[in-house]
Amino acid sequence: MSINVAQRRLLQEYRSLTNNPPEGITAGPISEDDLLHWECLIQGPEGTPFEGGVFPAELKFPNDYPHMPPSMKFLGDVFHPNVYPSGLVCISILHPPGDDPNHYEKASERWSPIQSVEKILLSVMSMLAEPNDESPANVEAAKMWRERRSEYEARVKTSVRASLGL
Amino acid sequence: MQVFSDEAVNVPDSTDWLGTPLACLMPVEQAFRCHVCKDFYDSPMLTSCNHTFCSLCIRRCLSVDSKCPLCRATDQESKLRGNWALREAVEAFTKSRRAILDFARAPPPALQSPTEQSNSPTKRKATEMDGAKEEDQETKRPRRSTRSTKTRAAELTAAILQEEEDTTPSADPDYVDQPPDDGLVACPICLTRMKEQQVDRHIDTSCPGSPQAAASKRQAAVAQTPQPPSTFPSFNNRLGQSTQPQKPPERLPALAYSMLKDTALRKKLSELGLSTHGSRQLLEKRHKEWITLWNANCDSSRPKKRSELLRDLDEWERTVGNPGGGSRIGGIGMTIGGGAGQGPMARAQAAGAEIKDKEFDGKAWANRYGDSFGDLIKQARKGIKRQTLDGGANSGESAKEKKKETEAETEKEDTPADLLPRTRPDGDGESSVAPPTPMDIVPPSSPPRLDEQGGDTGMDDEQQVIPGTPEKGNSKWETSQQQKQQPPIAGDA
Repeated sequence: MSINVAQRRLLQEYRSLTNNPPEGITAGPISEDDLLHWECLIQGPEGTPFEGGVFPAELKFPNDYPHMPPSMKFLGDVFHPNVYPSGLVCISILHPPGDDPNHYEKASERWSPIQSVEKILLSVMSMLAEPNDESPANVEAAKMWRERRSEYEARVKTSVRASLGL
Repeated sequence: MQVFSDEAVNVPDSTDWLGTPLACLMPVEQAFRCHVCKDFYDSPMLTSCNHTFCSLCIRRCLSVDSKCPLCRATDQESKLRGNWALREAVEAFTKSRRAILDFARAPPPALQSPTEQSNSPTKRKATEMDGAKEEDQETKRPRRSTRSTKTRAAELTAAILQEEEDTTPSADPDYVDQPPDDGLVACPICLTRMKEQQVDRHIDTSCPGSPQAAASKRQAAVAQTPQPPSTFPSFNNRLGQSTQPQKPPERLPALAYSMLKDTALRKKLSELGLSTHGSRQLLEKRHKEWITLWNANCDSSRPKKRSELLRDLDEWERTVGNPGGGSRIGGIGMTIGGGAGQGPMARAQAAGAEIKDKEFDGKAWANRYGDSFGDLIKQARKGIKRQTLDGGANSGESAKEKKKETEAETEKEDTPADLLPRTRPDGDGESSVAPPTPMDIVPPSSPPRLDEQGGDTGMDDEQQVIPGTPEKGNSKWETSQQQKQQPPIAGDA
């Protein structure tokens, strides 16, 4: 079977990520049989309560990637205003092109075919450092982050330690 | 699936330059790559906002979003213009890439002895290194084995052939004939060349009127008179080529789908020789994709054949076009197959391909055709009981075995799919009708369309065999059963 556009582009990205890995990020397809299903590891950014943690996540790509964005889901517990309790990540770069019907996001922040896995993961890293509480995915986390920052940080640190088995 | 192990290693990437002394070529290579597919530009097109993408990439982007993916400026497909200088640059770069990379990866010449240096050092080193690399990879990935070397050889030959093609004179329709420097002038009407003072008389008396007429006249003259030894051989060549019918393929216009009724859209599709199966939404998507593929192909310097484009569309249909259940693959496959499209074999093949598809939804399939499976199982049981009775007269033992089998099967009522193949009598060469396979009994490639918008009775409905209707759907099974019962059954083995 010849490989289609999405698969070829993902191979290209995988090649690029292995040859020139960005700091704090590892990503690749889980198995040879399904290039549309990746797993990645993100380091918690320094200077944030997530520091020291390593967060596994899965990326699922649609058949018409890169015209449509993948979805990203943390596999462990991530207490964050922009991460649903299920682990699903909610940031503008992962939202399909076009204008947000709720006008929270500008079209310029949303997915475009020129984006890549690397850019998604870098955006997620910066999201961990700077949550966007305008359209929270986890209301409890957003409220706590806004109103009781120290409690939020303590809770995140505890869960990071727990995830490392400390 | 070997895709990953073979291709992942062979996909060239701009990061290949990292770690070589020519790491500065990485941004150069990146500049030759499309921002959308990250591959080298294929038929690069310039947008109104002066960004460049592959023709196919930007056409797809615009059909999704009508915006430039880089700056999000609104744009239209019709405003795209070819970036030919970049096309040439990319071609030149990709041709020399391998050699430069080999050169960059070879150890510095200082390490080599002078004799080696005289013996074209870079090439030798490069091949040595390649060999070493391949061995290395082979130990790491045992699956790579011989296939990869074969494909590599095939790639090499393909590349060589490609190069040979490139060196043959190109049939560029935009080629402008340079006036030969022969001291003559061209007639302003028919472009025939002659001495300046002859022109007036020529126009008054012998001018044929149009350049084509003159050309054919000249051609005839060339054919009659022996070729002049060497002066303008290439000129004659070009003439010969220009007279061949060489219409560049015309771009297809986009359709305003909201203005088209289902039947009209189906008509458009069948005019284009495409499948008319599927939901309204799929029909639109298919038409759109075909236009994208077709128009992008028009931009290419080496346009593909129509059959290749149809294959691309088929590929698209299997993956992007129909992510849910691949139940409409048959449609397109049949169109490509031509006349065989309507036969039960083609339908069975299509259904077979569908079942083999990775994303095949077995549960939905079982639900959808559960009734007809049930009917078939009943009939099969009846047949077997009758067989058991017949066989009992001949040999008691085989009858017993069969009874056991039937009993075992009755216990397993809930798994019709499992039962079906086992109830089928094996190994009879006499029957002209093939034993029914799951492919034969399944309905044709497009199942009852529940998702149809609007109560459209498509023309393909008549060709469909509705599952569960006994007179049509099961007739084959019955005949084959009857035929099988007439000859005495020899036993199971």
